[in-house]
Amino acid sequence: MPKTQTYTLNMGPQHPSTHGVLQVVMELDGERVVQAIPQMGYLHRGIEKLAESRTYAQFIPYTDRLDYVSSMGNNLGYCQTIEKLLELDIPERAEYLRVIMAELNRIASHLIFMSSVAIDLGATTGMMFGFRDRERILDLFDMACGARLTYSYIRIGGVREDVPPEFMAATRQFLADFPEMLAEYHELLTGNEILYHRLRGSGVISGPRALEIGLTGASLRASGVDYDIRKAEPYGIYDRFDFCVPLGQTGDNWDRYRVRMEEMKESAGIVTQALDALPDGPVMAKVPKVLKPPPGDVYHRIENPRGELGFYVVSDGSVKPYRLHVRRPSFINLQALNEICQGLLIADVVAVLATLDPLMGEVDC
Amino acid sequence: MQGKGLLSGLKVTLNRFFGKKVTVHYPEEKLPMPERFRGGELDLDHQKCIACGLCAMACPNKVIELTTQTDEQKKRHLTSYRYRSGRCLYCNYCIEACPTNAIRWDKNYENSRYHRQQLDVDCLAISKKKAPPAAQDSAKEVAE
Amino acid sequence: MGKPMQEVTGLFTIATVLRKLLNQYLPNPQWVDMVITLVNIGAIFTLISLSAVVLVYVERKVSAYMQMRVGPNRVGPWGTLQTVADMIKLMSKEDIMPDGADKWLWILAPVLLFIPAAAVYAIFPFDHQAIFADLNIGIFYFIAVSSQATLPFLMAGWASNSKYALVGGMRTVAQMLSYEIPLVFSILGVIMLTGSLRMSDIVAAQQQVWFVAVQPLAFVIFVIAATAESNRAPFDLVESESELVAGPFTEYSGMRWALFFLAEYANLFAASAIGVTLFLGGWQGPWLPGWLWFMLKTALMIFIFMWLRWTFPRPRVDQLMAFGWKVLLPLALVNVLITGIGMQTVKYFR
Repeated sequence: MPKTQTYTLNMGPQHPSTHGVLQVVMELDGERVVQAIPQMGYLHRGIEKLAESRTYAQFIPYTDRLDYVSSMGNNLGYCQTIEKLLELDIPERAEYLRVIMAELNRIASHLIFMSSVAIDLGATTGMMFGFRDRERILDLFDMACGARLTYSYIRIGGVREDVPPEFMAATRQFLADFPEMLAEYHELLTGNEILYHRLRGSGVISGPRALEIGLTGASLRASGVDYDIRKAEPYGIYDRFDFCVPLGQTGDNWDRYRVRMEEMKESAGIVTQALDALPDGPVMAKVPKVLKPPPGDVYHRIENPRGELGFYVVSDGSVKPYRLHVRRPSFINLQALNEICQGLLIADVVAVLATLDPLMGEVDC
Repeated sequence: MQGKGLLSGLKVTLNRFFGKKVTVHYPEEKLPMPERFRGGELDLDHQKCIACGLCAMACPNKVIELTTQTDEQKKRHLTSYRYRSGRCLYCNYCIEACPTNAIRWDKNYENSRYHRQQLDVDCLAISKKKAPPAAQDSAKEVAE
Repeated sequence: MGKPMQEVTGLFTIATVLRKLLNQYLPNPQWVDMVITLVNIGAIFTLISLSAVVLVYVERKVSAYMQMRVGPNRVGPWGTLQTVADMIKLMSKEDIMPDGADKWLWILAPVLLFIPAAAVYAIFPFDHQAIFADLNIGIFYFIAVSSQATLPFLMAGWASNSKYALVGGMRTVAQMLSYEIPLVFSILGVIMLTGSLRMSDIVAAQQQVWFVAVQPLAFVIFVIAATAESNRAPFDLVESESELVAGPFTEYSGMRWALFFLAEYANLFAASAIGVTLFLGGWQGPWLPGWLWFMLKTALMIFIFMWLRWTFPRPRVDQLMAFGWKVLLPLALVNVLITGIGMQTVKYFR
């Protein structure tokens, strides 16, 4: 019997499919993974520390740079945290606009997810489809706030300014075209047997275990745990919308993929409802020019495309936060990587990484 | 049936092969920028500016550096206005802070440079160079 | 009607004319033979390098069109000179050898890969009587020579002193060995029908009906196995850029890397040409000259390969093995069996 030994393979930080600058130190036995330890910190910018030297309003552009493909969600989470601290009331129209933006952003973010799954599994063309349609959503955001990635649109007390009149028609047009786009993805990717067999049954994490390590978002729901903060602890006006939470059964790669694909459909439904119910009125509450929240601390969490995004803010009564902590879903979801990957093949590590969908801007913060 | 999905995928790519292309030939063809587009460099109108420094204060990243001088009539004037685009977050806070709408984006997104120093823009000098005669300026204001 | 035109522009006619011309200037027939051979070799090498240059461009255009892009459009009209520009870039690049590389193996690998890729061109019937070496073991020669390509991949993987390259090299061996077998068995059906390994006989046997009509299953198996043999997506596990960066080519740069690339496209052309010869009637076709038919059909095959590449995701390594051994091989055997039964039935009724 020949003696074999394991070897170490550094995947990343320069690697085509580690979604940025993640390094995974893999211990391999042939092609089998014995261990896959994610190494982080290549994109660390010290955003939490930066917050301590910025005023409350000045920190909003920095939240854009956390999870940079769903900045609207980050803006929303942060602003609602500060509003909770200030006990501000938000105008109705602003609330609805926030929901529209956050849900459109969820679709955009999941399109990136789909594209990265496609390209990590070698279906280069599939990637282009996701990016083509995400562009439509970015155009909408561009129209509303003048930026395609770092929106800073949601502000403390409301939104920056009302959407332009053509925004409504363009959004409705997008929603009308969206089922057709989804059908195309399903034809090209979801229905594809190679993709199905690549994802089905590999990278399993059970529901209880996922809860134990703090997985949130679609990765948790894929394991069959019905937990969506929009339902469990509705923030803003989410209790007014009728939508369902897609769940998986086994918690494998395929379920994580399916859940996100279904979520896009639900999000489109929420946007439609919000557009129909959109009231007239102001979009900004009366907010003092200099924000000085009362001393105290507050934690607020929202359901971001990647999971539970929480902001913990300690105020000492001055214009700047005393301490700010961000509970980043990508960071916490990433710790499941090692556990999920053990015993899989190298190719599966890439697939698991794609379906866990961590975003390095958020992991390293 | 196994293989049906493969065939439908082939159908999609073949359709796209003969279908319309969605990309834009960039240098020849440019996408129109929306009205609210935030990008490029700050376009300062030094005649409107009252040198209050609110823009520099609103900035989260200390991008704007300005110095002022008070003249005999106790009126403040800009003596320098430096915009360091390399540090800019394009958050729009300075423009929102400005009480006289003296700054706006020039919306030129082709702002890559060869050297880092070139990222610093002396907005006051640019503004003075292209400063229109006073008559035209007021006419423009009326039009707006 | 069209027949004379076809004869005049046929490659054989051209060769005959050339031979007559040479006879006037050269003193003895051996010299003439030598010159003709040299011309043939030159033509084949021109074809290989030209086809690589053209195919890289075509591949990029096809992929772009399938992805709703335009593709290269800067260098030359419609970007046609893009590959030339790329070649110049590659030639002027620094040749980097990784630390601890096995020097000789590392240098030899790209060259050795190119040799079998070029050698198989000897047996392609480009036109009526236009075949460099009409061996009586033609198709056997193809299989034997093309399977030599496995070794250089392993050499490159081993010599690079890189783990990505090593894993890629190991994958190559596993993949190529297991797909060689269904490939051979799919070809076997055709050989049973013709009763000859000679390429010209195989083409001649398809005068009435192309073998793709008689052996559709074999054709499908051939296309799949040939994709795997030439390491093209969806079976590009060797390169699998999202897992292994670039497999055995990870550490190669400049001209050495270009040689790998050249061999890849030479292989693609070779696989398509064999497919055309075996299943699509070779150079035969009405009106147009035979070599043009051959090229058109090869282009169609190449398009099919590219179409597959730009549509499908990549299977996992264990799935690839399972598919090869558990699906393709039994199917290929069944095909051989059905062919045998069919032949006996036809014989019985005659």
